Formats: sequence, structure tokens, C-alpha cells
Amino acid sequence: LQHYFIQSNLRVFLSKMLYQRFIEVGRVCYIRIGDHSGKICTIVDLVDQKHLLVDGPTSGVPRCVVRLNQLAVTDLKVKIPRGCKTKKVRTELTKEDINTKFLATGLSKKAEAKKAKANLGDFDRFKLRVSKTATNRKIRSLTRQLKKSS
Amino acid sequence: MRASGKLRLYIVIGRKVPTEKEPKPVPYRMRIFATDTVTAKSRFWYFIRQLKKMKKGSGEIVSCKRLYPKKPLTVKNYGVWIRYDSRSGTHNMYKEYRDLTEEGAVTQLYREMGARHRARATSIQVIKVEVVPDAKCRRPHVTQFHAKDLKFPLPHRINRSLHSPRFTTTRPLTTF
Repeated sequence: LQHYFIQSNLRVFLSKMLYQRFIEVGRVCYIRIGDHSGKICTIVDLVDQKHLLVDGPTSGVPRCVVRLNQLAVTDLKVKIPRGCKTKKVRTELTKEDINTKFLATGLSKKAEAKKAKANLGDFDRFKLRVSKTATNRKIRSLTRQLKKSS
Repeated sequence: MRASGKLRLYIVIGRKVPTEKEPKPVPYRMRIFATDTVTAKSRFWYFIRQLKKMKKGSGEIVSCKRLYPKKPLTVKNYGVWIRYDSRSGTHNMYKEYRDLTEEGAVTQLYREMGARHRARATSIQVIKVEVVPDAKCRRPHVTQFHAKDLKFPLPHRINRSLHSPRFTTTRPLTTF
């Protein structure tokens, strides 16, 4: 009975891999620093431990070599053969509609929010500060009331 | 030579200056990896002097043109045969690199030779650079990238931007 229990645990462990986002051919990545920062690209081939050949025909990234450090890995993946041409990458990306799928990811939303914050004008920052103060005030008064009543 | 920046491949053709004795001297062509045309011509004379009875003083460069990379958007395995002078002798070496162009592979070579063997660029002679098919590669650091469906996670990523911001209250994230 014990042997069966251990086996089933192992099966569960293997089905839920510890790591889910791999650097592999077809993985969609977000370029966070460098020339094409803010855009997504697909890994076409692996050059060495620190460099990848990427291509982003639907997002304006030319076929180029990027460092691993420049990328943030997403959950999205397309099926492309290793080292395939840009045309094939484009057809696969449009078939899977990666651009809209990426906009739904947390990474994209966070990047958008960061960009919006950086583009705030002085009046917008004032409005943000006022709304933050108001919200925090409400939260503090509520917690104080709850503390007093308990 | 100082191998600064990315090296380029030049085709240098030179010959002896035509004289009455030899009105049509044989031109010789060499593939030279150098940073610029000036260095390329200089290296041409350095090599040709060792191989033929030709000197810069009594010779002329017919042409020195850059050979642009073939298929610079596909990853290839490059085998490089070199001869280099160490502190106690001169040796031959065979090295393998994964790169997109010959120029990139040779640049990697010069960097690696400087790092691992303290060999200066002047003491390295590149004999041959060739694209090697996957099956014929000999070095494990290259063959490990030939695995089918190669994939690896990034389990622990290190934040290298230590100065932006320089002081912070949040611990660095190792997943990004």
C-alpha cells in the first residue's frame, strides 16, 4: 500500500512540473531591456548559454540575437521548427493570435500600468495623490473601528 | 593587432610590384580577420612575408574588400583551427563556437584565447574557419545545443542592475 501511495505522489509531482516557463524554440518572450524593449518576440533558435535568436514579425522585432538577460519569459508558446524562416513564424503567430493573448497576460498589464504612470502629467499626479490619500484614510478609519469593536 | 570590437572578414589581394624582370607578378589572395581595412592590409603583409618572398616595400595591395557574412540569421557551428604562441612555445588548436557568422565566431575566439590562455591577438594566427555540421562537432559545450527539443528553465535569475535604484527597500526578485 505504501509503495502505491509513493508512486501516485510521484505521478502528481511529474504532471505538475516545478518549472513551467522554459526557454525553448517557439516560446514567446517579452523584451524588457535593449533596442526593442517593450515588444514581444518568439525564440527561433538557441545560440549559446546566454544568447538566443529571436524574431517578432507581428510585433516589429527584426530577426536578431538577444541576450537571455534582456528577456522576460511568458506562458505563451507556438509550435515552430528550429531555425525556421520569418514567414513561418509570422503565420504561426497570427494563427495563434499571440498579440491579443499577450495583452491578457499579467506582464503586459503591469508594463502598461508602468508606462501610464510614467506618462502622468502634474495634474494627474495630483489627482492620484488625492485619491490615494482618500482611500488610505477610509481604510485606516475602518481598521481602527474594527480594532475598537473587537 | 588589437582585436577591439567585432572583427570583420576581408579578402585581401596583393602582389609584387611589376618590374622589367617580372612584368606580371602572381597575385595572392588571403582571407584576413581584422577590425578594419588598415589592419587587414597589415596582417596580409605579415602572413604573405612568411609564406612568399614578398614585402610591403616591394609589393602592392590590389584590392582589400570586406566579405559580408553569408546567412547571418541562422545559427551555425564554427570550427576554428589556429596556431598561437604561448609563453613557452607555439601550439595548434582546434576550437568550436556557436555563432551566426564567421566574424562573430573569430571574435569569440580572440576573446576566449585572451581569457583562457592570456594569448594576445598578435600571437594568434587563424588558419581556417569552417562551418561544422552538428554531427561532426567535437566540443561538449557546442554539442549540448544540438539536443532535440532543447529547453531549459531560468530557475534563479539575478538582477544585475545594482544602481537603478541604488538604494531600495525591496528584496530583489529571482523570477522575472
